[in-house]
Amino acid sequence: MSGRTDTINELVRTPPTSFVDSLARARVRDRLVDGVAASVGDLPSGALVEVTLASIRRARSHPEALGQSEEPFAWKPVFVRRSLGLAAVRSCAEGRFALPSAAVGPVADQAVEEWERTGQRTFHWEPWFAGLGVGGRAVVLAEAAAWATSLWAAFDWTTLNSQVRIGGMDDLWTCPAPRTVRLKGRSEVRTRLDMVVDGRRIAGSDGGPSALVSVSGGVPSEGWREDLAYLALVAGLRAPDRPVPARVVGLWPDAAEERTVEIDEAALDGAVDRVVATVAMTAAAARSTSDDRPGCTSDSGTLVGSAAA
Amino acid sequence: MAGPVAGPVAGPVAGHVAGPGTSGSTPWSASWQPLAGAALLERLRVTGRPRPAADPVLSSDLRSFLESGLCEVLVEAAGSGLVVTQGRLTRALTCRAHRMDDQSAEHEFTIPLATSALIDVLFRQLVTTGSIDDPMADALDGLSLDAHRAPLVDWMHGLAQAERRELRSEVERQADGLRQRWPALDPSWLPRTQTPLRAVLAGGQIDLSVYVDLVIGRPAADVASVAFVDVRSGARRPGHRDDRHLGALVEALRAPAPPFAVATYYTKTGELDVDPVDSDLLVAAARRCLAGIRAMDSLGRGEEPEGTGSESCTMCAMGLSGEPTPATASIGAISNVAEAILHVAEARVVAPSTQTYAQGQAA
Repeated sequence: MSGRTDTINELVRTPPTSFVDSLARARVRDRLVDGVAASVGDLPSGALVEVTLASIRRARSHPEALGQSEEPFAWKPVFVRRSLGLAAVRSCAEGRFALPSAAVGPVADQAVEEWERTGQRTFHWEPWFAGLGVGGRAVVLAEAAAWATSLWAAFDWTTLNSQVRIGGMDDLWTCPAPRTVRLKGRSEVRTRLDMVVDGRRIAGSDGGPSALVSVSGGVPSEGWREDLAYLALVAGLRAPDRPVPARVVGLWPDAAEERTVEIDEAALDGAVDRVVATVAMTAAAARSTSDDRPGCTSDSGTLVGSAAA
Repeated sequence: MAGPVAGPVAGPVAGHVAGPGTSGSTPWSASWQPLAGAALLERLRVTGRPRPAADPVLSSDLRSFLESGLCEVLVEAAGSGLVVTQGRLTRALTCRAHRMDDQSAEHEFTIPLATSALIDVLFRQLVTTGSIDDPMADALDGLSLDAHRAPLVDWMHGLAQAERRELRSEVERQADGLRQRWPALDPSWLPRTQTPLRAVLAGGQIDLSVYVDLVIGRPAADVASVAFVDVRSGARRPGHRDDRHLGALVEALRAPAPPFAVATYYTKTGELDVDPVDSDLLVAAARRCLAGIRAMDSLGRGEEPEGTGSESCTMCAMGLSGEPTPATASIGAISNVAEAILHVAEARVVAPSTQTYAQGQAA
């Protein structure tokens, strides 16, 4: 394995250097709730603000885009590549396939067969994928294979073994504010960090400190630290009975960059500031959109700010 | 690493000459046959040179060279990142006369442009799935998923019967060549298609952004272990070499090691140009990149850039007519600080460009 994979493997296993105790967690939560509540009170009742890593980034880099209405959803290869790519990487980590490029086709075919047989969708895109011609399917598989190969090549999976969970459900947390504000966090890989017991480093156990890995396109933006901490914030809010992830590792394969944030109260506070700012900007954009175009928001659960993570 | 790409340099391929420097499967006689199958892959793997070791100092020197040479541009561009792509760089370095021609033709769809888009899709399909069924149908099917290509797809659907037949014929001919010659890639080579590569300079003020049609090999920290392949459906042009060298530069800036080879594969003819990557190549690419960014900056301010005369213009290099403006400065005319950095980098050149194939084997 190369030095880079060794480095990244170490990042997702090294014992944590920080810990967020229950008092700090409560303080962070209170700050978040107070900050969010202040900016959404005058939105129409039933309005829903959804915060994702993508909307946080958009609020910082392209705030003008927050008020723009989004295109109606339609499947595209780039929407499939993450879920299919993660499934391919998982199948390789489990030893079912040697490498992601060999896995994407069979994994996609299996998902379609399962959907056709049972009507159950594993990924949601099965009907769309099944309706594509040979060339369209190849584009989807190529996107997923390239994405998965970048992730696969970043780690030495043989040494991570049972310490790792690939993909999984998004973290969701709803803020108890006057209007519904939902935080959504999505990480590609979760690992159990090693622990030091009696001066000896041992493999982490379930319920122990963990690390999240986030894969992004492009290059790290100015606020990468807060962006990564946001994922730990949502994970910590969603599961108050589990430790807040102690570390978040960001991978930017396009730029061959990796960045790490050790999660302590200060890191979470930075993320809270970004969430509060994003909600405030989203709410302001929604109000101005509503003024310009009556009917864009309503009192029946309209999503006023969202972005796919 | 595991896999054939990063393995030891293998012996020469029977029947093919592999020499130092830029080399390719260029047709030089009537008996010339394009490389196919294993021989084609060997041509990519075996450059005749030792693979460059990771050189963080060279990488740092190249970055310093670019950043110091761009300090005036960076002041102007403060707060707004300048995205530098292969196409923008080439356009900026094109002489005024050819740039005007290029601008007027910029938004015109043509049969060659459509062929290029369709072949890109088919190449990706072949690498990913190992097969192409009906070239035209598959390619249109794949291209239709890209919303940005919708106007081109519409244009193709609207072609008159004769033009459509011409397009189909060319796409089928090139697809047939691909099927016959392009070998299946072992998954252990980690093939990635249409891979974006990004390197930011000066804290994000300059964003070098390239796409490589095919990357093979597992990235390693100690030695160059990946190769890049650009796929072209048209005729060979000098700008293609510049494009692949920019890819090598971006990789050298963003990763521990540069690619060991950058190649262009011509689907029309089966030609394969392969450049082994060494510090000479990277330094030259950095010089061109700096000149190009400066030209982009000038053009952005509505000024005619200095140093973009016939010698930097790929169209002039092809001998195409135009009226190149007199060059007031050469590509190499860069600031003293930047030049000094580059001289240091050049003095550190590890792999001599005159390395022979036999020496490469011995190494």
